[in-house]
Amino acid sequence: MNLEAMRTFTDDEIVDVVVIGTGAGGAPLTAELARKGLTVVALEAGRHFSLDDLTPDETDAVEINWMSERLSGGDDPTAFGPNNSGRGVGGSMLHWGAFTPRPDRRDLALKTESGVGRDWPIDPDELLSYVERVEGDIGVSGPSPYPWDPSRTYAYAPAKRNAPANLVAKGCDALGVRWADAPAAVLTRARLQDHHGERGACVNCGECHQGCRVDAKASTANTYLPAAVASGAEIRSEAMVHGIELDARGLVEAVVYRKGGVDRRQRCRALVLAGGGVETPRLLLHTGLANDSGQVGRNFLAHGATQVWGRFDEPVRGHRGYPSSLISEDMMRPADADFAGGYLVQSLGVMPLTFSTTLVRGGGLWGPELMQRLDQARFMAGIGINADCLPSDDNRLELVDELDEFGIPRARVTFTAGENEKAIDKHATAFMLRVMEAAGARETMVLARTAHTIGTCRMSDDPSDGVVDADGRSHEIPNLWICDNSVFPSAIAANPALTIMALSLRTADRFLASAAA
Amino acid sequence: MPTDTAPAPGGAPLTLYMLHALGASAGSFDRLADELAGVVHVVGIDLPGFGSAASAPDATVDETVDHVIHRLAAHARGPWMLGGHSMGGKIAALVASRVLRGDAPLFGLRGMVLMAPSPPRPEPMDEERRALMLSWVDDGAISEADAETFIDQNTAEPLDAGAQSLALADLRRTSPTAWRAWLETGSRVDATAAVGTLDVPALVIAGADDADLGASAQPELLASVYPRAHFVTLEATGHMIPLERHLDAAAAISRFVAEEVGVGPVVPDEWVELIRSERVDARVRGALARRALPDDHGYAPAVLDMAQLTLLREIADLVVPQEGPAIDIAARVDAQLARGEGDGWRNADLPGDPEAYRRGLDTLAAAWPTDPSERSDRLKAAIEGDSDLDGPLDAAQLKAWLEDARNDLVRQWLAHPASMARVGYDGFATGGRPMRGYVELRLGRREDWEPANVGGTIATGDAA
Repeated sequence: MNLEAMRTFTDDEIVDVVVIGTGAGGAPLTAELARKGLTVVALEAGRHFSLDDLTPDETDAVEINWMSERLSGGDDPTAFGPNNSGRGVGGSMLHWGAFTPRPDRRDLALKTESGVGRDWPIDPDELLSYVERVEGDIGVSGPSPYPWDPSRTYAYAPAKRNAPANLVAKGCDALGVRWADAPAAVLTRARLQDHHGERGACVNCGECHQGCRVDAKASTANTYLPAAVASGAEIRSEAMVHGIELDARGLVEAVVYRKGGVDRRQRCRALVLAGGGVETPRLLLHTGLANDSGQVGRNFLAHGATQVWGRFDEPVRGHRGYPSSLISEDMMRPADADFAGGYLVQSLGVMPLTFSTTLVRGGGLWGPELMQRLDQARFMAGIGINADCLPSDDNRLELVDELDEFGIPRARVTFTAGENEKAIDKHATAFMLRVMEAAGARETMVLARTAHTIGTCRMSDDPSDGVVDADGRSHEIPNLWICDNSVFPSAIAANPALTIMALSLRTADRFLASAAA
Repeated sequence: MPTDTAPAPGGAPLTLYMLHALGASAGSFDRLADELAGVVHVVGIDLPGFGSAASAPDATVDETVDHVIHRLAAHARGPWMLGGHSMGGKIAALVASRVLRGDAPLFGLRGMVLMAPSPPRPEPMDEERRALMLSWVDDGAISEADAETFIDQNTAEPLDAGAQSLALADLRRTSPTAWRAWLETGSRVDATAAVGTLDVPALVIAGADDADLGASAQPELLASVYPRAHFVTLEATGHMIPLERHLDAAAAISRFVAEEVGVGPVVPDEWVELIRSERVDARVRGALARRALPDDHGYAPAVLDMAQLTLLREIADLVVPQEGPAIDIAARVDAQLARGEGDGWRNADLPGDPEAYRRGLDTLAAAWPTDPSERSDRLKAAIEGDSDLDGPLDAAQLKAWLEDARNDLVRQWLAHPASMARVGYDGFATGGRPMRGYVELRLGRREDWEPANVGGTIATGDAA
């Protein structure tokens, strides 16, 4: 993204909107508000990465992740850092896996369907209309028609199926399970992206999580942010917000951020928080704002993401190619379910250090068995899930006394899988074992894992029951909005980025409507 | 030039490429090569303007560095060391810095051997002496008399006849342009920023009777460049070490190789060729080159104390058992902790990583079996949360810390290119312009550029 001709604002200028965060939550809204003529400054804690700054080396690639320590507790501590947290212009979309299933209508009304969980206070059709817009904006590849939604088409042919996908397909075929090439925000032919330039086609390097070096994978840095800049928005990187100032009426009038070691104050008419499920509630708890309900930080959600790995006779070498090139939605509502909701299934390829971490943390391995599995890794193919997660008051984000490098208290996230999560995991594990065995695996291995940081500032119709309303606006501070995965009332089984971007466009429209009113 | 090669770790021959001094040639290392035959294969490289390359048209520092990189790229195979005498030392430092940045098509550097090296900073040199030496080439080549003066000024004792005649011949055939270029420019170039810090095993041999580049001056000149430098002083020795003291120099190099260079795994040749290739971007190549450097067996821990590091090494042997030459992954974890690098989170019941390591190790140390065969069971209990140790961490904390420690240890092991080669991971070779990924994604297949041990067969023609 070329920032040379970018319009810039001084701290003293009262801009219409400050957006905190440039990932899936912040960027589409920034582009949309700027396009409508508003003055917008997006503050990003991380730095701006050019394609040449990205590296396939897993050790060094963590510079695109949020590596400032977070504390994780509960019976099932969830991993942060490279597992789910980004930092840099583009946010978590620098490292995301680009897996783009659409949100399932049934998940958005889970309470109505099952009596547990929570309905989203949003019309599913409306949300899905924004989802389709996002798919057009960023470029999504996938099968047309889509087996679980025959009316759906994708603009780009699917990513090339890699060896794990072919093996999982074989297992699914043997069991009569439907599968398809996965929808992925990875271009399979070059595209001229408005205001950005040419984005190349995927070269099957397999290093999506280290940051795409050919711009085939969509991030906000190669889609919405260049569009925002073209419309006059400013992206201000390496700007860590640690204060929010209110005027006498209780409205936000400025944010305080540190850039280059200096505290600065940007004045604004409205503020949109889009730092994600950890940084957004952390900032609110730190500033003590918008939390009369006591809901900030509550109902932290993580997707069940257990993996099963099968060992095959021939080299699989699943680090090649788009990592998750097969999907099955057949388990979204399995007939024999003893739980609410369901789970998405994907094939898995993996990078070596990431796999070693899963062996250690998820498999408890060490010693000769660990070394044996590392030696066998090239013969292994994986299958994994993304499972819905119900809100629980026991799972929450709080602040601890320990301060980070900016003097902000660190976050502690407590997460314990509930009965429903355990039931899904049990079902999914058995299913995945069957698939891998049917695919011809010599042996199998189950590795526990959770993914994504969701919830903590949920949207609600009842102000006592959430942090923002159904538009994403604070129940308490009228010119404060939240636009990221922290507002999700429930996890829903779909990987979150596509839904976050759709919500971001919707929030922009709601913001504009409120301003016009 | 000797053809004997000796086994280095992993069985590959270890080669020492030597860059000569001002007015010398590759031949100045012939005696050293003979003496080290069977230990190290010593290969001298004639620099532009000197020796067999005396007719080379240009001899700036940059051109000389390029010349050496070109020669190494054509000839260097397997593990190798780079060295330099006097002027050659400065060139060697510049070459090494490019290798360790990945900014050269080279891989496999394991150590540096420096003799009375000229430092990266401007070389301290008496201006009258510089002027005198420059005057020697006012009328063309250096005269016999001036060459003899030079040798006399740079030796503590007279050279034997063979050495004397070699040194004279090299001085006489030196290109006046190259001689002038070094004295007027090359020696004055400040290359400290370009070289940076070279955290590589380094042997620095210097004479007690040398002047500005003598033994007493070298630590001040080089300590900040080579934090791992071992300084060896040769008594009754001037500046012309390879000719004055080749036996002592050879002995020091042998010890250095045995103690500092010949440790740790060696990356297999096929993988070396891949890392050198255009498929690997400079940044990745540099990272792999630095990780492939031998560990410092005298590593002084920065976060842990020595007892804690020793225990972590014993735990590392159990968690990540390494066959053959081992990577000191415990020391690498200590260095990682010192850099403040973690994985972005920790268990909420644990203190910060450095403190968790100290407390965890102290907890285990209280009842760590002296009998190695009992250690695995003790560690197993701790990993599974079944320990009953009365220490700074309780059983649950110990379990949580050991999960972090196991993860840190295995990631340090797997980040080493020799480990990547062992597990058959070549995904680092997805670079170049235009960037190349994989074309062949199928089970049991590999591409023709991939090392054979990744497994599978190469698909060609109809088979593809």
